[in-house]
Amino acid sequence: MDLRRAESARRLRTSTALCLIYLVALAGCGGGSRPPEIADRTLVTVWMHSGQEPERNTIVDQVNRFNESQDEVEVSLTVIPEGSYNAQVQAAALSNDLPDLLDFDGPFLYNYVWQGHLLPIDDLLPEEIRNDLLPSILKQGSYRGNRYSIGTFDSGLCLYANQSLLAEVGARIPQTIDDAWTVEEFDSLLEALAKKDQDHAVLDLKVNYTGEWYCYAFSPVVQSAGGDLIERNTYQKAKGSLDSPEAIEAMKHIQAWFQKGYVDPNLDDRSFIDGRVALSWSGHWDYNRYHENIGDDLVLIPLPDFGEGSKTGMGSWNWSITAKAQHPEAAMKFLEFLLEPDEVLAMANANGAVPATRTAIAMSEKYKNDGPLDLFVRQLEKSAVPRPATPAYPVITTVFERAFQQIRHGADVQETLSDAAREIDQDISDNQGYRNLR
Amino acid sequence: MRKNSIIAVFMALPALTGLTLFVAVPFLIAVFLSFTNLRLGSPLPTEWVGHQQFVRILSDESVLRAILNNVVFAVSVVPIQTALALGLALLANQRLRGVTLFRTAFFMPVVFPMSLVAVVWSLIYAPGVDGALNGLLHQMTLGAWAAKDFLHDPALALPAIILMSIWQGVGLQMLILLAGIQSIPDHLYEAASIDGATAWKQFWHVTLPQLRNTLITTVFITTILAFRLFDQIYILTQGGPNNATTTIMFEAVTSTFRRQQVARGAAITVVFFLMVLGITMVQRRLSQEVVDA
Amino acid sequence: MKRTFDRALKTVLSYAVLGLCAAVMLGPVILMLVGSLKPDEVVLKETSSIVGLFTGKFSFENYKDVFVRVDFGRFMLNSLFITTATVALGLVINSMAGYSFARSSWRGRDSVFALVLALMILPFEAIAVPLFYEAVLINWRNSYQVQIVPFIANAFSIYLFYSYFLSIPRELEEAAEMDGAGPWRTFWTIVTPNAKPAFAAVAVIMALMIWGSYLWPLMVTTEETYRPLPVAIAEFYTLPPINWGDILAFGVMMVAPVMIAFLLFQSWFVRGLASTGLK
Repeated sequence: MDLRRAESARRLRTSTALCLIYLVALAGCGGGSRPPEIADRTLVTVWMHSGQEPERNTIVDQVNRFNESQDEVEVSLTVIPEGSYNAQVQAAALSNDLPDLLDFDGPFLYNYVWQGHLLPIDDLLPEEIRNDLLPSILKQGSYRGNRYSIGTFDSGLCLYANQSLLAEVGARIPQTIDDAWTVEEFDSLLEALAKKDQDHAVLDLKVNYTGEWYCYAFSPVVQSAGGDLIERNTYQKAKGSLDSPEAIEAMKHIQAWFQKGYVDPNLDDRSFIDGRVALSWSGHWDYNRYHENIGDDLVLIPLPDFGEGSKTGMGSWNWSITAKAQHPEAAMKFLEFLLEPDEVLAMANANGAVPATRTAIAMSEKYKNDGPLDLFVRQLEKSAVPRPATPAYPVITTVFERAFQQIRHGADVQETLSDAAREIDQDISDNQGYRNLR
Repeated sequence: MRKNSIIAVFMALPALTGLTLFVAVPFLIAVFLSFTNLRLGSPLPTEWVGHQQFVRILSDESVLRAILNNVVFAVSVVPIQTALALGLALLANQRLRGVTLFRTAFFMPVVFPMSLVAVVWSLIYAPGVDGALNGLLHQMTLGAWAAKDFLHDPALALPAIILMSIWQGVGLQMLILLAGIQSIPDHLYEAASIDGATAWKQFWHVTLPQLRNTLITTVFITTILAFRLFDQIYILTQGGPNNATTTIMFEAVTSTFRRQQVARGAAITVVFFLMVLGITMVQRRLSQEVVDA
Repeated sequence: MKRTFDRALKTVLSYAVLGLCAAVMLGPVILMLVGSLKPDEVVLKETSSIVGLFTGKFSFENYKDVFVRVDFGRFMLNSLFITTATVALGLVINSMAGYSFARSSWRGRDSVFALVLALMILPFEAIAVPLFYEAVLINWRNSYQVQIVPFIANAFSIYLFYSYFLSIPRELEEAAEMDGAGPWRTFWTIVTPNAKPAFAAVAVIMALMIWGSYLWPLMVTTEETYRPLPVAIAEFYTLPPINWGDILAFGVMMVAPVMIAFLLFQSWFVRGLASTGLK
């Protein structure tokens, strides 16, 4: 009896061991799509955030074509989820695990530079490319006297509108940025639309998004009202800017939209394309999908003017070479490839963003003069405002997002913004003002 | 005898090493870190700041609300889930044909990882009449129910999370209680019915006392688990609306990852452990259980 | 006559209540299953009523979609590997420790055991932050070992084994002792074959816990290569474009193996639970 039991116990152990070995083998074989190392090729590791699907597909395609087109540099791409991207970058920096080249959302540049993760590229960037880049791209990539990053596209933010739905309430369509709706006009428009709508939800603010969206999409509103996230002389205090009367006014307007039920929860991200709402506050990445579904009825309108002119967001994902990169010139080669007009257009067509080079803009069907996305280019020239250029930005955006959520759920606006400003100031003082340490 | 003792020690050694390295030591580090201002990825040197972190977090509205939410959650989930588990166990204990099928149905939600539960229930809680729960209530009340946005309503968000968590957890507790009930010797019930006790009296005077230890253990475990509330909050509500669903662990994780304040996150988890320790001791004393040592 | 009528009424009532409870427990499961077979655009609408649920078009389109959009096979493999490795290794070392505490006497045994019990209360979250920092410093992020090694030793498992071993009658072990066997041989040849229910119960509880583990893998993995299912579905849930049909299909595929395993092995598990020290 005991012998048989011992026998089956042994059999169980053996089969478990075999299973484990099998799984390890599977894992070893199945894992990793690293291409075979060809001798003498310089390996460049690249991180890209996982954005919209067409964006991802484009970059994967670009990497493949780059690798095939020449013999000196081999690019190995890893796609990282967007949600905790910044934390992952920080953690990787801590364990000396950063890639040679990585992309990140524009305003995080300042924090990464302060920590010393990035390599200045003034000497590496060819002059012809530099002259072709949009001013906003150059500005975004510079900090404390050096150039650190380049984007292959810039962003566009606007109100997408369904013309026929607007026509039903007799709304006028602004033709230029100066012509934008005033916020009072906008409020009455929402009211009129809501009267005709079954569930009164007529505005899509992408509340299904989390993260960077809130600061990007709604801090321009604060600036349009005359306030700001933080004072931009020394970047030391949010108090007095974020909780200024102007900022409070602006956020109160937004809160009213939620209170009155105008905002669609957008759980399936289809409120605009299914016709449930007439207006969608969104960015360039939605253009392709919206155009496909709404067709000729689609019209792009600048954000409402909250007092000091219609303002909009700018800045987007851009590329930097890290300080520990072994072969920065090799990494730069890949960047130059991405900045070729055809490649810039490939990405811009995939995600609807504004191409970073003037050559590419001229070649673009959508972005050339009078093209459908011409508004984005003009906004970058006139009314786009950058997010604060400070290493405190990661905290600012988290705090603003939290404040937005609280305001949206009915919290007292002044108290919320006041607390938010205090939190930001606390962080800045904890970090000794983020002064230059190098 | 000596040799056997040494062998026995070696047998316990791997587990003890693991526990020391990966549980005890990190906790001690957490306690140490909570007295510093360590930040993730900051070029500034780390400094000793004494009890500054603790002062800050205990005067932070979000953290205080988180503690309150955890307590409310535990106080709601533990009795309700236990009562439901007991009820379901009694139901599944009947001698009916096919009762095993029902027992399996009750246990099904337990095999769902909480993150999956959160995703599926976000569909159920969807706002508007298109949401499953809203639709169901609408139909059941013949149109009298006004659709609610459960997860974004400050009053309904936490109850929604509570409901979802009970749904996921009751099956396991039920199985444990069922095992306990089934091990109660029949003769106790026979003796009681000979004495003329009704079904209710039998439950009160035979079942419950016999289950006492099992109940105490499952209540203990459920309470501890109730304080670890994180997954569903992170995926569904992000602590909102207005801190209505924030929890201690959510605050700790967001402090570490979003605000990159490792020391603050550590301090919050130390406070967390002290709370759980306190509750454990209270529970043990209340249940008067003798621990085999 | 009245007695049989009463009994029949009670039976019908019992089934009715059982059925109602089962419907509540299984409702979301059915919603997930049926919803995964519907086209993306209508999932939100058609899952809100019973009529809508069972009418309309059905297809396996969403399942195909999942495989096209993400590397589901990889996530499944990761979860399977991590869970199996952690549970298997855990069964070995935790049972040994439980036996050592239950049966052997050595200096300091009681105090060490008291410490182990104290660690049982310490939830993972209390040590998550420093553990993360440790993982970062030794560069174990994005690996299998970081998701396995810290969880092999488990105080709760040790306690379960300990209380089970205490309840086994000593005669078999004493017989082995008289034959000159030490604790090691006794344990592997006598005790473990007789402790199958305990192993089953611990294995299932640990497997469920690790399979569903979300926070830790979220903190330590960024690359898809090492990402397990619970993190993958949360990622997928926010990955644009948001196709609810795909998300539900992902969920079904994620939970199916565990569900099937449970259906096959439930009697083992129930028996195991009944005999552990949880009573």
